[in-house]
Amino acid sequence: MAETETDIPKMKPRPIVRLGLFLMSHSLLASIVCCSAGVLALLLLPVLAKNTYISENALMPGSANPMLSNQDIVQANKLAEDLSDLDFKSAETAGIQRRRLIAQYISNLGAEASYHKFHPPMNRFHPLHFFATPDSEMIEGSTNCSIYGVNMVGIIRAPRGDGKEAIVLVTPYNFGRSSQGETLSLSIAFSVFSLLTRVTWLAKDIIWLVADAQFGEYPPVAAWLRDYHTPAFGSFGTLGAEMCCKTYNIYELEQDSIEQRNLTDGLKRAGTMAAALVINVADKNEPFEDSLGMYVEASNGQMPNLDLINIVNYLAVHRQGLRVKVEKFWSLLGSKWLKILGEVFESLGEVAKSLNPQWKFGIPAADYVEGTATLVSSLYYQALGIPTGAHGAFRDFQVDAITLEISPRVSSTNKGRRNEFLLRGGRLIEGVIRSVNNLLEKFHQSFFLYLLTSPSKFVSVGVYMIPFALLVAPLPLVAASLYADGNSKNLSPQNGKSTSSTTVAADELGITFRSWKWLNAARKVFVVHVWGAIVSLLPYFISQIPDCSPEYRFGIWVIFSLLVLLILYFILGFQLPLAQVSRYEKGEWAILKSVTISAVFIGLCLMSVINFATAEIGALLMVPTCLLACPLKLDTEACNLKSVTRMVTNLVLVTLSFPPVAFFVLKGVVEGHDGSNVGDFWIWVESLWAWNSATYLYMGMVHLPCWVLCLHVLLHSC
Amino acid sequence: MHGEEQKVLGMDDSISDFEAHFDLFPKEAQSIHSPRSLDSSHQPSSPYVSNTVYLSNKLNFQFPVSDSLLNFPNVCLLTVVAEGYWLKQQSMSPYAGSMYHGSPLLLSVLGPLTVKRIEGQPDHLLCSLLLVLADIISAILIRATGKILQMAYRQSLDSLNLLQASKSSDFLSSGDVAALVYLWNPLTIVACVAQSTSPIENLAIILSLFGACKRLVPLAAFGWVVATHLSLYPAILIIPVILLLGSGPDAPPRKLFLQRGCEKFGDSSSNDSHRPRMEVSPSKLPIAFSWRSLIHFLLWTSLWSVYVLFLCSVLVRPYGGLLEMFKRTYGFMLTVEDLSPNIGVLWYFFAEVFDFFRNFFLIVFHMNILFMIIPLAIRLNHRPCFLAFVYIALSSMLKSYPSVGDSALCLGLLALFVDQLADMQFSFFLFCGYVGVSLLSPAMHNLWIWRGTGNANFYFATAMAYACFQIILVVESVSATLNHDRKLRKLSASKLGDGKS
Repeated sequence: MAETETDIPKMKPRPIVRLGLFLMSHSLLASIVCCSAGVLALLLLPVLAKNTYISENALMPGSANPMLSNQDIVQANKLAEDLSDLDFKSAETAGIQRRRLIAQYISNLGAEASYHKFHPPMNRFHPLHFFATPDSEMIEGSTNCSIYGVNMVGIIRAPRGDGKEAIVLVTPYNFGRSSQGETLSLSIAFSVFSLLTRVTWLAKDIIWLVADAQFGEYPPVAAWLRDYHTPAFGSFGTLGAEMCCKTYNIYELEQDSIEQRNLTDGLKRAGTMAAALVINVADKNEPFEDSLGMYVEASNGQMPNLDLINIVNYLAVHRQGLRVKVEKFWSLLGSKWLKILGEVFESLGEVAKSLNPQWKFGIPAADYVEGTATLVSSLYYQALGIPTGAHGAFRDFQVDAITLEISPRVSSTNKGRRNEFLLRGGRLIEGVIRSVNNLLEKFHQSFFLYLLTSPSKFVSVGVYMIPFALLVAPLPLVAASLYADGNSKNLSPQNGKSTSSTTVAADELGITFRSWKWLNAARKVFVVHVWGAIVSLLPYFISQIPDCSPEYRFGIWVIFSLLVLLILYFILGFQLPLAQVSRYEKGEWAILKSVTISAVFIGLCLMSVINFATAEIGALLMVPTCLLACPLKLDTEACNLKSVTRMVTNLVLVTLSFPPVAFFVLKGVVEGHDGSNVGDFWIWVESLWAWNSATYLYMGMVHLPCWVLCLHVLLHSC
Repeated sequence: MHGEEQKVLGMDDSISDFEAHFDLFPKEAQSIHSPRSLDSSHQPSSPYVSNTVYLSNKLNFQFPVSDSLLNFPNVCLLTVVAEGYWLKQQSMSPYAGSMYHGSPLLLSVLGPLTVKRIEGQPDHLLCSLLLVLADIISAILIRATGKILQMAYRQSLDSLNLLQASKSSDFLSSGDVAALVYLWNPLTIVACVAQSTSPIENLAIILSLFGACKRLVPLAAFGWVVATHLSLYPAILIIPVILLLGSGPDAPPRKLFLQRGCEKFGDSSSNDSHRPRMEVSPSKLPIAFSWRSLIHFLLWTSLWSVYVLFLCSVLVRPYGGLLEMFKRTYGFMLTVEDLSPNIGVLWYFFAEVFDFFRNFFLIVFHMNILFMIIPLAIRLNHRPCFLAFVYIALSSMLKSYPSVGDSALCLGLLALFVDQLADMQFSFFLFCGYVGVSLLSPAMHNLWIWRGTGNANFYFATAMAYACFQIILVVESVSATLNHDRKLRKLSASKLGDGKS
């Protein structure tokens, strides 16, 4: 009777289910193949990188001759000299005088000048910054009235424009005590600005922001952008600024000057920003030739449109003859195994070429090593989620921006040499502005999602998603197969026992909730994720403790997290009534592992949308750990070669994927092992949350909980 | 700060006030586009709403992520109700602003509450409290419905002599589970936080189901009329409601009872098996379809609808009468005019489709729902409550402006059938899918709208995945229920076999 009952509800599964079952039954093979293919594809990325090309036809870079002449340079030099002549004892008076001087120069050119006052932001934890709109912080007034900075803003109204669009030039400048590089960058920007007041082709307004760099480069730009995009309705918007107005009066020194009447305290605006260029001149000198460094990564790994990088690169290389470089990990350049790998790829490429000359596969080994170093740095800076310069503030407002760091050749004291350098830099900026000026729409043609392997090579999203997809593909497979295993394991002893007809009946009535057994494991996973959320909030409270070394703070954090974990375990560690049956069953760890893997999968996929680089690095760490996790007790019981290797790999992987350990290992690989201590990790984490990086949230709410769950599976008493 | 905010948001500001506000700014200030207004699809059309939306974005009151976390269709947002009310206060048609497309009754109930403010509290607090209250009442009603359903289930098992078998394992109280699922469902909470009016629509639907289960004909008719009036799609629930009133709550297939009765009868007189079923002990049989309650229901329905229509006509008389109202509410729903992104799939489709095919596809998509009504009603006629769940799930998938509030309701109702669905396949898969999609879709929306690095396809992909998961949910739950029926039949047959041998 029991037989007839069990086989009736069985139907032939649908084809898609059968395909799934087939993949599930070969999940081990599939996961090994997929994971290794994923790592291999990641290593292949520098080989697969494509040359950049200018996708938007309207840009037409370099099609016009540069108009910047020596006369502009002479003007700029005059400004620089005047600025350095204003050397007062107190930095504050010098700052005020210099601002006035710049304002005067701008007004003399016929442009509008205005001041913008801001308060430096406090380090604030804003975990949902990713979702929140960028101007939300302004409301929660935080300001210390005595500390403020003043930006200078100059605006050229375009003769041919409708005032709806603008291009922004930013030069960070410390008005109080400026370095030589800052003065040079100011000179470059001023020479271009003075040229642009005279040209007839301008269709977009030009905004020149001299950002007050006394609190760093990023905060003044961010503050200005926030105020620029927050039009004040009535007196509402200015409330924040008015609060401290008594301490501030920029005109107090000279009330009656005619120029001052043109200055307005209110923020002047132009139109929507089409693009922004941040100009820096490095203080350090280059040994051989003038060079241009590009910094592009904004918050959470967002990049400006590739076209902006392309035109800068094109103009710098082909018109001005600058050497363009992007950041790379120098330590990787000397690495032996990378070189060997590059040679292998090179020879493979040659073999491919000999088979079919059409196949253009493979690059020289040296290029490969360099490309990898750049790629790794590109990945790293995207993954950090911390903007690499003042351009980061623009990306939060959907403005494409880039920082240009121009480094002069040695001996810039020579005046002729200096003028030549200014001319080169100025013409580069002029060319870029002229190209952007041609734009009819905002940048949209080219890529937003890419990784750079050199200034002129990139890996687009379609290519770099492949390694990631291959890496995470085994996760759902293994989760499904474990889930099925765990269920069937529980089923078989029950079927064996059920001889009496009543239990069969109960079974058949379907009140055993076999298919809902995962709820218990899901609850555990949920509790651990709640723990993760609590733990990621802890640093905020810990940072409030005064006078505390980073090591000490890290210690407090560890103790508190363990405490919270214990509390949650005891409070919520009870079992759900409906899952009580399955408590001591064999497959419990399998179901738990399956739910964990599903959580990792969802978390990684989510992170790959928010910040791809974080997800890629996280997947490299987390996927093998999750896939291999298996109770140590089973391995010790089995005690053969296979289980011992599995046990050792498990232990190594779990140790490696613990965030602090991973941090130190990576740091050791990249920078060498000198003097890294626990405090470094804490400082790193604090910088992550101070910059509202999504990576921080990933670590706290995906990586750490899943690591704990893996550990739980390892220590499971099955 | 609050004073200022109120000034800008204030209902007593007339349109000219707004213009004055804008005129305060120099030309260059006006030309600024904030990043969020760069995309055209998201741009609200009337000055009031653009201001409110803008300010609510800026102030981020309530919840920092509310605007990008979910894309509620404009038809069901409280801010839209506020706009309609404001227009009405200016003695203009509430539909003049092109944003409000709800019922005039909702306007006169919720409208005054949108204006009332408590000092120092966020806007719309009273309204939000009303929504919370609606959710809580819904949960209570779901619990009561679950109780009724479970009792009926026990009774029918008892009459099939299967109760002893099932007593060995304890019943979960399905009403409690369902009420908890409804209340703690993140989707319900999100719908409430986003201040959508879907809790009220859900309440009307649940009210009608509860009334039908409890056999309170006027209540059932009232719930159905109000639900239909508010969002049109619940109109298809008339079939399950009639079935519920006519033949009682969910039970195993009627054939089973007949079989059982016949077998019993066959034992006593073996040669005559074609006895009418009335001769079998009547208490153990489900009641036959009662035409009386159907007629009662129809009477009450017509009464309530005449009443509702009368109230509406009084309210909209100055603004073009009932015809205009139908055009602006039901017409707006049926013709899918608003193509701003939501979690459904229709906005994308109708944004892409050629204009001359539009009517054709409108008919196709709406027929899609109607086609499924009859077959499902025939197959599941012994389980009217479950049938109602299936209808709600289908319409929440195929309606023109779906929101997460609809799927909150449908997941809540799903939990009413824990006993039947205990062996549902793919439950874990579906759970992961729902979690994944509900996390991914705000991220994709953010990528598209706020960061500008993605495009509409990113978000639409999650909408499609969501629709797929809902389809799987419906298919699996229906097949689990049918399997459950099959099992009962087997069991009852084996019981009979035991009895004979």
